[in-house]
Order: sequence, then structure tokens, then C-alpha cells
Amino acid sequence: MNEFVLSLIVTLVKIGVLLGVALGLGAYLTWFERKLAGHIQARLGPTVVGPFGLLQPLADGLKLMTKESIIPKGADVPVYYLAIMMAVAPAILLFSVIPFGPEFTVFGYKVKPIISDVNIALLVVFAMGSLAVYGTIFSGWASNSKYAFIGSLRKAAVIIAYEVVLGFSVLGVVLLAGTMSTVGIVEAQIERGVWFIFYQPVAFILFLFCMLAESGRVPFDIQEAEAELVTGYNVEYGGMRFGALPLAEWYLNTMALSAIAVVLFFGGWSGPNILGALSPYFWFLAKMFGLVFFVLWLHWTLPRFQAKDITEIAWKIMLPLALVNVLVTAVVVYTFGGAG
Amino acid sequence: MSIKRLSRKDYLNLVEAIFFIDFLKGLSVTLRNLFRKPITTEYPQEKLTPPKRFRGAHGHFVWDGSEPDSLKAIEKFMSYERGKSRCVACYMCQTACPMPTLFRIEAVQLPDGSKKVTRFDMNLLNCLFCGLCVDACPVGCLTMTDLYELAGYSRRDEVLRMDRLEQHGVDFSRRRGDEPDRIWSNDREREKLWGKIEWSG
Repeated sequence: MNEFVLSLIVTLVKIGVLLGVALGLGAYLTWFERKLAGHIQARLGPTVVGPFGLLQPLADGLKLMTKESIIPKGADVPVYYLAIMMAVAPAILLFSVIPFGPEFTVFGYKVKPIISDVNIALLVVFAMGSLAVYGTIFSGWASNSKYAFIGSLRKAAVIIAYEVVLGFSVLGVVLLAGTMSTVGIVEAQIERGVWFIFYQPVAFILFLFCMLAESGRVPFDIQEAEAELVTGYNVEYGGMRFGALPLAEWYLNTMALSAIAVVLFFGGWSGPNILGALSPYFWFLAKMFGLVFFVLWLHWTLPRFQAKDITEIAWKIMLPLALVNVLVTAVVVYTFGGAG
Repeated sequence: MSIKRLSRKDYLNLVEAIFFIDFLKGLSVTLRNLFRKPITTEYPQEKLTPPKRFRGAHGHFVWDGSEPDSLKAIEKFMSYERGKSRCVACYMCQTACPMPTLFRIEAVQLPDGSKKVTRFDMNLLNCLFCGLCVDACPVGCLTMTDLYELAGYSRRDEVLRMDRLEQHGVDFSRRRGDEPDRIWSNDREREKLWGKIEWSG
């Protein structure tokens, strides 16, 4: 019993820390993205609120909180509210299977810096990725607007296509590591001393594209194509309800999927010991934000694909590539003995 | 000059497609721009100085000893004080103006026979800042300054009266009077944007 209470307390603390860190970082990514976009376009980005505009996320939050929010006529009100939860919850739940570092001991009690070390962690990731689309679909459906509805339909088409490719691209890594647990995959990479990106470069590129598609980033952001659909599925939302949707999709999802990519392809927390006990966390966060930076950088570089091109690329090019990749990996692992 | 036709390939070749050469090119462009100095002018804190011949708010040059000969010739017919507007109320500016009703100019004849300008109002709400009035002025009085922050809180604020015109003129000649009367501050600046001019002969 005592053991159970202890583990409950530890888990609650971990959840609290993770929620605070993830939402705080998510909010500050808005500042970072605006700065980055500004400088890429030879502008300055936010400068007025606080030094370097660092208090801008707080100001944005305050503004969004105090805004009037209008529910459109004919909206399906329960679903309208449910959509926000359905968008935010899976994005946060994605963080629950991300291992930020190795096991350590506090007062003789072993703590893993992961909320739930389940052996089907990757399946949880896929499940949450698929659940996230409900937020988009519901918001488009419930807000009784054609723009929003077209946006959510496009998102559904993208997700259906890219979930399949995502699954197959990850299979190669699973075959090599011999496990679906995120901790297990990281440990397999540390054991071999090689990041899986060197074994699975094709899978990484496929994963990267799927990640962009899942988090609605350029060049796959047809669901919120500003020029055609105003801003797509969240056009009828106002105030903080509006703020929650991009926060979940653009920032939390991007961060979580970058973290998954780090776990799968970049060796998780592995790296030279430069900061002592904090070194694994540093390496994990550095790799993760390197990838997040790359996604943002790509966002402000590329134009948007056409809607038909996106599904065409997924079904006609990426899926066959992923299948071939899995096949070759399977044969190689079978012949030379993989994780075993 | 003939139109140059640029050909563009519709498809990437295999190497370009596999290694995402076009993506990398785009990324390098944005990365280069990321480390470029921003070109933003943070407006309320820092303000650009327009070229001297900028067509901003109007001003009147005053009697300060730099009058042109045309004004010196009729000096004795005018009633004026030093430091006040050079205007002779000839109405040339109003005649040249595409929107003449924006001027309200009045003058009276004093008992000694000289002419005194009593009113010179310009309603800038109607002004299109073409500068024809400045070109028309025969005595070098009316001018346009480099002031461009012309917003106000009421319509009344937008009417320039004689005192403000004089103040603009004094202020402008004090600040910019020594500069050469040209658009570009120097040839290098101009050639940077417009290329070198090649005169014939």
C-alpha cells in the first residue's frame, strides 16, 4: 500500500512538472517562432513587451483571456467545446511516453523521468496522433462554417494518409530495437553506440514529413491555409478557445513529435557527459529543440503543397518507400541478427 | 529591348529529388536572411529623415535677407516685418492648385498704399501634396518641408495658418537650409539604387 501511495505521489509530481514545462515551453515557442519568422523576413519580431519581447506570450495570453468569444449561430455547442479538449488532451498525452533521461535514485527510490514506461509506447503515440484529428474534425463540424469544415476535411485526408506512412516508417526502428518501449529503443541505441538515423535515414525523412503533416506545419498545412480558408478549422473560435487550438497543434504536437523523433532516431538522452547528472536532460532537450527549430525553419521557408499533391505524395511515393524500407530492414535484421 | 525568355524545368532530376536539393536551397536562403540585419525602423523611437525635396507639410520662408530679386523688386510696395512671411498674396499658388478651395488668402491695402497679407490658410485635408503651388510661387515664399507626421485629432488641426507656416519655414531652413537642393544626399546613394547615369557627349 505504502509503495502504491509513493508511486502515485511520484507520478503526480512528474505529471505536474511535465505539464508546467510543456505548456510553458509551448507558450514560449510562440515567441520564438515569431522572432524567427521576423528575422527570416528581415524584421525584428516582438520587441516591445519586456526585454527582446520576452513577455509577449504573457501579453498574448492576457489578450486572449479578456477577449469576447462568440459562438456562431447554429453551432453544436457541446461538440464545439469538446473539440478544444480533444485537440489539447492528445497533444499533452503524447508527452507521457517520452523518456527525458535515464533512471535515477532519490532517497533510495528509483525514479524514471518518464510518466508511464509502457512496453507499447509507440502504439500510444500512434493512438494519440490519430485522436488529435478528432479535435480538428469536431471543431470544423461544430462551428457551422464552410471554411472550418473544409479545413477539417482536409486535415482528415492528410492524417489518414500520413498515419499509415508514420506507422511503417517507425517499424524499421522497432525491428532494429526489438521493442516498442521508448526507453527500450533509447537503451538499444546507447548499447550499440549508434543512433538509428544512420541505420534508417529513409525512415527518418519519412517520419519528419509525417511529423510535419500531423502537426499541421508547412508544407502540409492545407487545413489552415490562410490564403484560402482564412485559418481553417479554428476560424469560428475566439479568445483563449482559439488560442488553445494552435497551441496544441503547432507547438505541443511539434514538440512532442520532435521528442519522439529524438527517441527513435537520435539516441534519446545519449551524449557526452558535460554537465554531470543533468547532462542527459540537456542532450535530450538540445536535440529536441534542434528538431523543433528545423521544423520552424522549414515552416518559414517552404510554400504550401496543393491538397491533392499531399495525399498523392503520401500514397504514391512515401508509402511504397516506407514499405520497401521495412522489407529491407526486416531481411537485413533476419539475416544478420538485429536486436535479438 | 527584347523580352528575355527564361526556361524552367518542370521536374527535378533524380539526384535533386532524392537529396531534396530544392529544399536545401530554400533553407539556405532563409538561413542567410536569418542572420541578416533587420531593416525595420522602429518608428516611434527612431524616425527616418526624408530627402530635402520631400513633399511634406507646407511652410513659408520669411524675410531674413535671403530674398530673391523678384521679391526685392516689389519690396517697397509691401508692408512686412523681418521674420514674417514673404507672401505677397499674388494668388499664383491658388491658381496652380488642382484643388484651389484649399487656400484662403486675403490681403488688405494699408493707408500708406502698401499691401499687407492678413490671411493665408491651407486646408491640408484637401491637399494632394503635388507641389504645384511651390513651383508657382514667384517670390520664393511657399515651400514644402520634410514634416510627414500630419495626423491630428480634429479637422481644425489640419488647417495650416500663417503662424504655423512661418514656423515650419523657419524651422526647415534652420535644419535643412545648408543641404544641397537634391533628392539624394549624394551620388553614391543614388547610384546604388538607380545605377550610374551616362550622359551623352
